[in-house]
Order: sequence, then structure tokens, then C-alpha cells
Amino acid sequence: MTTRVDAVVNWARSNSLMPMPMGLACCAIEMMAFAAPKYDVARFGSEAMRFSPRQADLMIVAGWVSYKMAHTIRRVWDQMADPKWCIAMGACASSGGMHRCYGVVQGCDNFLPVDVYIPGCPPRPEAVIHALMDIQEKIRNEYSVAQDGEFGKEVRKITPARPTIVTPTGEDAISPSGLYTQ
Amino acid sequence: MADTNKSKAPSTLPFSFVPQEPETAVENNPHAKATTQVADVVEALKASFGDAVHEVVVYAGEHTVRVDRTRIVEVCTFLKTEQGFNYLADAGGLDRFTEDDRYEVFYNLVNITDMKRIRISLRVDEDGMSVPTVTDVYPAANWNERECFDMFGISFDGHPDLRRMFMPEDFEYYPLRKEFPLLGVPGSLPLPPQVPTGELTGDPFPAAHGHKPPKSFQEVKSEEENG
Repeated sequence: MTTRVDAVVNWARSNSLMPMPMGLACCAIEMMAFAAPKYDVARFGSEAMRFSPRQADLMIVAGWVSYKMAHTIRRVWDQMADPKWCIAMGACASSGGMHRCYGVVQGCDNFLPVDVYIPGCPPRPEAVIHALMDIQEKIRNEYSVAQDGEFGKEVRKITPARPTIVTPTGEDAISPSGLYTQ
Repeated sequence: MADTNKSKAPSTLPFSFVPQEPETAVENNPHAKATTQVADVVEALKASFGDAVHEVVVYAGEHTVRVDRTRIVEVCTFLKTEQGFNYLADAGGLDRFTEDDRYEVFYNLVNITDMKRIRISLRVDEDGMSVPTVTDVYPAANWNERECFDMFGISFDGHPDLRRMFMPEDFEYYPLRKEFPLLGVPGSLPLPPQVPTGELTGDPFPAAHGHKPPKSFQEVKSEEENG
């Protein structure tokens, strides 16, 4: 069996994501269901919720973000080690939702680099699992080693990190147009 | 639409329910409880305080007594010791947005033993934004008065710990005043920096104005990494 370092690293990273549960409101209840046995996120390797940012690599912002809390969230995000990803869970974290008022940040993407947004108020646990699978798909197409990013430098274009999967009949198993490209 | 003139000037509201002020609220309100009709307490207040009782309002079967601002502590002490109102359920403020006596502060008191409820209110003018605190009588009023101070800027004289309740302590405005904009004053509440070593963001909606936070691998390195 031959493969590339990127493919192996991405496979390991995507199947062992450790979420940082930033539970701020009622979305956190659905996030608990997402981790509980019925929906069983252990199938995707993300059952280990880490309340320490040093041990987490996926922040799930679940709930509305007040201006006071935004500074704490940003600090926790900065304490997380690279590589790290972020999910804005629910309408409030994505856009402020129904809290269109002076005290709530109108979307946590005003201060965080969000990878996946989940609509819903609150979203079903299936939607959270879908977002997690989107993150996994994104990780599997990243250039972990071959194209290590550096601040201020242009990102080199190289062949996709994900190896081509060929079916026994010789066709592409995954359409390249549906893949995440950098 | 077939008949446009009709839709322009409706004679009545097209709703099945048109709100109307009931003429005799006390008798006709089916939701009024006997616990909120405390005429004997109101009479006792009038007898003890006389002119300090400015107004007695009965709405929806509930008694509201408006008293003088300077004598609220005496009124609360009287109600607690003489009338047995031993529980302060709620206290807060409201902005009536009028020329005189703009703000109002209310206290919902409960007599748990006799199952009675009464609402005491007082009015505050913009020129003298201070009310004597009732925390010496009802310690539960502590956080309620802090919230009222936070939201309306009414200061409570003698309060043991009059700080803002919800907003940051360096916030300069009072959000529940009528003139305060719904989405806040831009720049008054800074967002965290976009990169670890950056400065606070004064624009409250950078994403709406086209700014996107850099991806994590694009962020500048921390000071330790830079050496």
C-alpha cells in the first residue's frame, strides 16, 4: 500500500476531532444530545469533548454570543493549538438570530474564522453531525504537510491532498467538483 | 386585488380582537385574584402617610400605590413590619418618555402568610436621578436596583454595591432608555482582536462591512514564536 503523508495525517486528524464545547445557550442542550448515545458522535471519533482549549481542535460555538463573552471566546480560541476548526452552531452564533439588540454580537464570524455554519434554532443533532462531517471532509482535502501555510506568503497551488479513489470499473468514486478546494 | 379603495381605508381593524379599556376592571376581569385586591393595606398606607401617597391605581383588579420618592424606605418598612409584606418579588424601572417625572421605579411586594400582593411605584425626574435604596429593608432588592441603575441610570442612594449589573463597567450608556438605539452605539462595545496580537475592533459589524477574519493558519505568530 502506498499513500502520501498528507492523506495519512488528514485521515488521522479528521477521525479524531476533539470538540471544545463552547456552550452558551440552549444549543448546548442539542450539542449534549449530539454527544450522547442516541446520536453517538463516537461513530465519527469526536466523542471526547475537551474543556481545555489546549486539548481541543474543534470549537463549537453553541448559542448567542454577548459582547462580554466574545472576549473570552476569542481568548479560548487563541489558546487552542493549530490546526483548529470552528463551527457556528445555530442562528444566534451564525448571525445573531432573534437577538437583534445592543448586547449580542451579530454573528460570531465577526471575530472568529468560522468554517461551518449550522442553521436552526436550535439545530437538530443530525445537523450538528452533518456539520462535523463537513469539517471532516474539509480536513481530508487540506494540505497538511505538503503545503504548510505561513503568514504573509502566497499559498502554493499543488495537486489535491486527497488521493483519487477509483472504483473497480475505473470511475472516480468522488466527484472532484464536490470537494473542498483551497 | 379587486377593490383597492376598500383596502386603503378600513373602517375597522381586520382582526377579531380589538383591544379596549375595560370600564370596570375590578368586577369584569376574570383573571383577577383576590390576593391582588388589598384595599385594607391601601387604606392603612393612606392613614399612615397621607400626602406621601400620590395616587392609587386599580387596573385589572390589581392595586398599585404611587408614593413619594423620598419616603419609599419608610413605606417599605411600614409594609414589612406592620402589614407583613415579607417578600420582595421584583423591583425595576421603566422609561415613560415624558417631559416631567420621566422614570418610574416599581416594587412588587408579597405577603406570603396572608397571600397578598401589592405594587408600590414612584416617579423620578430627569433632574434628580436618585432614589433611596430599600436594601436595608429588603436585601433582595440589591441586584434589582443594580439592574435598574445599569439599564436606566437611576442611582440608588445608600446602596452597598452600586455597580453595573449586565453591561461592562466602562460602558457609557443606559440601554433601556427610549432614546438608546436598538442595535447599540457603534464602537461603544469593542469586539476582541481579529488576530492574537491585534487590537480591539471598534466596528461592531466588521463582517457586514466586508471584513473577514483571517484563517487560523494565516494569523500572525504570537510573541513567543516571533522570538
